[in-house]
Amino acid sequence: MSRYMADYKEAPLASRPKTLDPAEYFNLSPEYRRAEEERAAIRARLKRQYQMQLNNPLRKELIEDPALTRWTYARVHVLPNFKATPKTSLLGGLFGVFPLFALYFLFSSDRNKKEQQIKDGTYQRPYRLSY
Amino acid sequence: MAARALSKSGRFDKVYKLVIGSRSASGVSKGSLPGPYPQTPEERAAAAKKYNLRLEDYQPYPDDGKGYGDYPMLPNRSQQERDPWYSWDHPDLRRNWGESMHWDFDMYTRNRVDTSPSPVDWSTMSKTLLGYLGFMLLMFGLGEVFPMYQPVMPKQYPYNDLYLERGGDPEKQPKPVKHYEI
Repeated sequence: MSRYMADYKEAPLASRPKTLDPAEYFNLSPEYRRAEEERAAIRARLKRQYQMQLNNPLRKELIEDPALTRWTYARVHVLPNFKATPKTSLLGGLFGVFPLFALYFLFSSDRNKKEQQIKDGTYQRPYRLSY
Repeated sequence: MAARALSKSGRFDKVYKLVIGSRSASGVSKGSLPGPYPQTPEERAAAAKKYNLRLEDYQPYPDDGKGYGDYPMLPNRSQQERDPWYSWDHPDLRRNWGESMHWDFDMYTRNRVDTSPSPVDWSTMSKTLLGYLGFMLLMFGLGEVFPMYQPVMPKQYPYNDLYLERGGDPEKQPKPVKHYEI
């Protein structure tokens, strides 16, 4: 088995690592390189911030992650960004309003039928009410 | 944080406050929480900076009222796909501190949905499965229509079909039962 990037075969259920992606090494334009450098700079800045906090001997509290805070905030505050468009109204009606009424009518009609059968005496009980 | 620093006293306190001041803003500051969809380019740039993304990489969800706001739309890849050998800050989640989380991050953890490539492509997989299921259904169906088993007959009992054992009268003479032909 050769050790070259060209011969690398991905593990069955994994994607190719970025360091072995041929696009990273061949036919690179300066714009792509610049973009990767910028991304690496952001990543390095965040890593440094984290390590400074992690290894600070005077730190007594947990390191809070602002990305996590933003994520939880965004997931909770969906209503302020909600707009009643045709698509959202359709989805809301389809998943909220329609099942409500449909299930109500389904259940009530089924139970009324059963009640009528019991009153008429034609209902066969599957289980005994008492012994 | 500031209240605790003020309540202490002594010169050590000043050094401590200096250390806090020199760190990046911690806690919830005014512009650090998600907001509404960015309308102007300045808002876009500010949002990209907020989420620690490049301006070109920052792509919010389309503004169709579903409630995403300015949260970035990241590629729908599970955490399992990320490099296992890189030194992540949180190795079990394969994530670095401060990195913007996917909207469905809790779905894409390694215990849950996985978007890793499969060993064979989808068409081969579905063909294999449906071929196998179809074949088994066909064979079982044919087996119902054309049953095949060892030839059987009703069981033959001795002593006149067990006349006494079945509660027949001992005084009476039972009807003779012959199970053979010569």
